[in-house]
Amino acid sequence: MSGLAFLSPGRASAEAVWCSPLARALEGAPPDVGDLSQTGKIEIRGDLPKSVKGGELNRITPNRGLVLCDFGKTVELLEKLSQDYFAVDVTATLAGLSVRGEQLMRRITDLDLDALPAAGAVSHIQALVTRDGDSFALWFGQEYSDYLAEVVIDAWEGLRE
Amino acid sequence: MRLPARPGERLNRDREVTFTYDGNAVRAFEGDTIGSALYASGQRIFSRSFKYHRPRGLLCCSGSCPNCMMTVDGVPNVRVCAEPVRENAVVRPQNVWGSLERDALVVTDKLGGPFTPVGFYYRTMIRPRWAWPLYEKFLRSVAGLGKLDKHGTRANRYDVEHRRARVLVIGGGRAGREAAQQHAVAGMQVVLVDEGFVDPLEGVEVVAPGRALGIWEGGLVPVDAGRVLYRFRAEKIVVATGTIEQPLVFPGNDLVGVMLPDGVRRLIEDWGIKPAEKAVVVTVDEAGREAAASLREAGVEIAGVYDLRRERVREIVARGRGGVLRSVEVDGRKLSCDLLVMSGGRQPAYSLLSQAGARVEYDPGRGVFIPTDIPEGIEAVGSVAGEGLAGAVPAASYNGASGKGKCFVCVCEDVTDKDLKRAIAEGFDSIELAKRYTTVTMGPCQGRLCHVPSIRLYARENEKDEATIGTTTARPPWAPVTLGLLAGRPHEPAQRTAIHHRHKELGAKMMWTGTWRRPHSYGDPEGEAQSVHASVGVIDVSTLGKMIVRGPDSAQFLERLYPNRFGDMKPMRIRYGVLNSDAGRIMDDGTIARLDDETFYVTTTSTGAGAVLEWFEWWNAVWGMDVEIVNVTGGLAAVNVAGPRAREVMRKLTDIDLSNEGLAYLDAREAQIAGVPSLILRIGFVGELGYELHFPSPYGEHVWNEILDAGEEFGIRPFGLEPQRILRLEKMHILVGQDTDSESNVLEANMPWIAKLDKDDFVGKWSLEQVQERGLQDLLVGFEMEDGKVPLEGAQVVLEGTRPIGRITSSRWSPELRKAIGMAWVPAAIAEEGKSFLVTVDGGFERATVRLRPFFDPDGEKLRS
Ligand code: FES
Repeated sequence: MSGLAFLSPGRASAEAVWCSPLARALEGAPPDVGDLSQTGKIEIRGDLPKSVKGGELNRITPNRGLVLCDFGKTVELLEKLSQDYFAVDVTATLAGLSVRGEQLMRRITDLDLDALPAAGAVSHIQALVTRDGDSFALWFGQEYSDYLAEVVIDAWEGLRE
Repeated sequence: MRLPARPGERLNRDREVTFTYDGNAVRAFEGDTIGSALYASGQRIFSRSFKYHRPRGLLCCSGSCPNCMMTVDGVPNVRVCAEPVRENAVVRPQNVWGSLERDALVVTDKLGGPFTPVGFYYRTMIRPRWAWPLYEKFLRSVAGLGKLDKHGTRANRYDVEHRRARVLVIGGGRAGREAAQQHAVAGMQVVLVDEGFVDPLEGVEVVAPGRALGIWEGGLVPVDAGRVLYRFRAEKIVVATGTIEQPLVFPGNDLVGVMLPDGVRRLIEDWGIKPAEKAVVVTVDEAGREAAASLREAGVEIAGVYDLRRERVREIVARGRGGVLRSVEVDGRKLSCDLLVMSGGRQPAYSLLSQAGARVEYDPGRGVFIPTDIPEGIEAVGSVAGEGLAGAVPAASYNGASGKGKCFVCVCEDVTDKDLKRAIAEGFDSIELAKRYTTVTMGPCQGRLCHVPSIRLYARENEKDEATIGTTTARPPWAPVTLGLLAGRPHEPAQRTAIHHRHKELGAKMMWTGTWRRPHSYGDPEGEAQSVHASVGVIDVSTLGKMIVRGPDSAQFLERLYPNRFGDMKPMRIRYGVLNSDAGRIMDDGTIARLDDETFYVTTTSTGAGAVLEWFEWWNAVWGMDVEIVNVTGGLAAVNVAGPRAREVMRKLTDIDLSNEGLAYLDAREAQIAGVPSLILRIGFVGELGYELHFPSPYGEHVWNEILDAGEEFGIRPFGLEPQRILRLEKMHILVGQDTDSESNVLEANMPWIAKLDKDDFVGKWSLEQVQERGLQDLLVGFEMEDGKVPLEGAQVVLEGTRPIGRITSSRWSPELRKAIGMAWVPAAIAEEGKSFLVTVDGGFERATVRLRPFFDPDGEKLRS
């Protein structure tokens, strides 16, 4: 069966130059905004486990989850998870944007920031939002990277006006 | 004139602020509003009325009426009585021809009466018909309030902030503050919103000035806080919006100098202004008496106080000069004055509750409308719920005296008692109809000051009670809001490919396709197309929709979805597929590569990706098949390397066998390209030998750069969407949505080989069978123009005698063929090789010849080479 290797950036050789979808968009960005895109991301479907060893499981629906892991360990973890679940490498599909500050987040999403992680609209696009104290991570379709970075940086500037 | 500083005033007299009004500097104190500062400087006329251009002055000083609307820093319709002063603000009057003091359009007041009765727009200026464009031009130039600069840019920044509140209290009066404090003491997170100025409250977050615009489902309350729109989601909403002072209806009730009691009180207490020299008070409640006391204390002479609860007054007439109050006649007794305080009682400000679903009932005892049946999660407290409302004389608030001047029921829309009586006479006897016909309550105050007076007038004139007349529907927004605030920030959720920035560096002209930004070309569309034929080109096709369809039932799933056959496909082979709707119409197209027995890789059009994904998921849910569908559109970048030298370029990037035996036309292969895991599809939309490479998007720039480097010796050029359109047209490949519409089917789109009608069943099969049964009517064909002129897309196909019989869907000049070519829908009888038809070009007709086979490489030898 095809291992769908062409979906996995982790299978690229060292000569291949990774370019984050947010690299250009975040040039000169304020320190409250950062790039998390080079994080391993695996979507798993089925009866979700309570946790995933070597990764952080975020439940999107009762039988759909997103596992975040170290980029270098993605392929290994994917192979392991594929034994029990329908698992797909979505590392390249999702960009990751870190945002610091609750008020900044309130300017871009109406998700309940006290009930994260949750998936929902962030400035009109779908994202999974996770939280660690005052730091938030947005995981969303990489093709919206320039757009969402522009929105977040603009909102950050708005708070400083 | 300013009064000496007094405790509780809003001013910081140590800090001066200067702004300009109509070009002249106005000095104010911090804490002033633009309106209070102008009033203190002696300004009395603040606006001209909507229809009659009558002078209007401060009336409520609370942002509830239309009387003080001006243009501030380019923003029209700002209520200056509630707009805090700011340094260097530029304030201008609006809705005048001339100045506020001398407005040429006041002629509509003097002469306009007979020409502008209620509903005049339905019956005057209709004849002569030829003159309508002139009327229209004139009416448009004088109608409306304020002017927007057509070429203006965003004057202000507006943001949206999403907030949550355990308890949201709307209204910062006594009841609102008490409610806020009670909830805060109980340990709840409380936010209090008020339109005006509110002192801090312990344990409560105060948002002021902030206007709640409405109450929506789920406890959503948008609050206009000036430059930020707070979208509150509240678990509990406490409405403490209080009451609104009502005017009295009598001749001259709109003169400059006629004010409501709270407006007078604010001038004195908040901004330390002596409002007038001599005042008369006419009141139906205590508010008028309290205003009289404040005025006296401020040194204003009181010429008379008429408390209509105690004395019977038959007629009140206010008289003025130049629209400014000079005297009041009470039952014929003339009192000169420069201020008339009128108090028509208070009406609960129930609109937000009503929007949220509360019922509103008339209480004849108190003469007010009271909200009842308050929905769950919402509480009404204080006077909005009717608390403490007593003692007014409702009947007295409507006191029209005919023939002694205009009695305004609605100052926003200049609707008089006569207008409403005329509407009743014409049969508009319900208040909802009257609202639509006369526009009463439809102006900037949204009924705050005219709702109750119009209901009372209707009740009296129709000899019914107010409860029977009822109320009109309260709709959001409850308070006026700038469009800028509603619009928010100007960001467009565009999708960009992983190679987007490289395209820009290469000089691409970008264009929209759906929500994607794509290169139209790199400046030379025809040259780019030609280099694909001559050597090799590369195009970014990352926008294609891409899905993995995997599972034991995947082949059967696709068999049912598509009219094509997939069960017989060998692994690593590709097939072109056209997706049908259940009505048998073309929905989308793309390629389907079988990666193994249970796995297919499906591509869709760029703009159809979302709809196709939903379509797949929908049918998968309906059929309950053992199939998983994964959208990998954004995860994979895709480029197409095409042209006779494409293989040579590819050989420099991978070491797999690229010979025709190793990777034939319509073969797929997983391989490393420039060190990146990729799926290679040997397909060709542009008619030359081609390789479509799909690989993880973070390597988009890397692979793109490597291809350009590898192709340099062959003269490789990137090409955009426009050259691609020329090339695909030469091959007569259709573009779904361009060459097809919502009625097109594969049989008539000249792709009968797609539909395997001998299959058990597939989505849309019944419809295709019906098409086959009735016979083909219109067909999609290629054509070439005899004289080389390129018709417009959408041009008509015409039979001799100029009857339209079809339309052009695509047309281009082909530099390779040196011909104008295209595709068109034509009747079946004409859809034969070599037949001809006429096409409209440049206002005339030109002849085109039907072609049924691709213009370029009709046998596909180049594709297979
Ligand atoms: S006087 Fe400003 S809104 Fe009424």
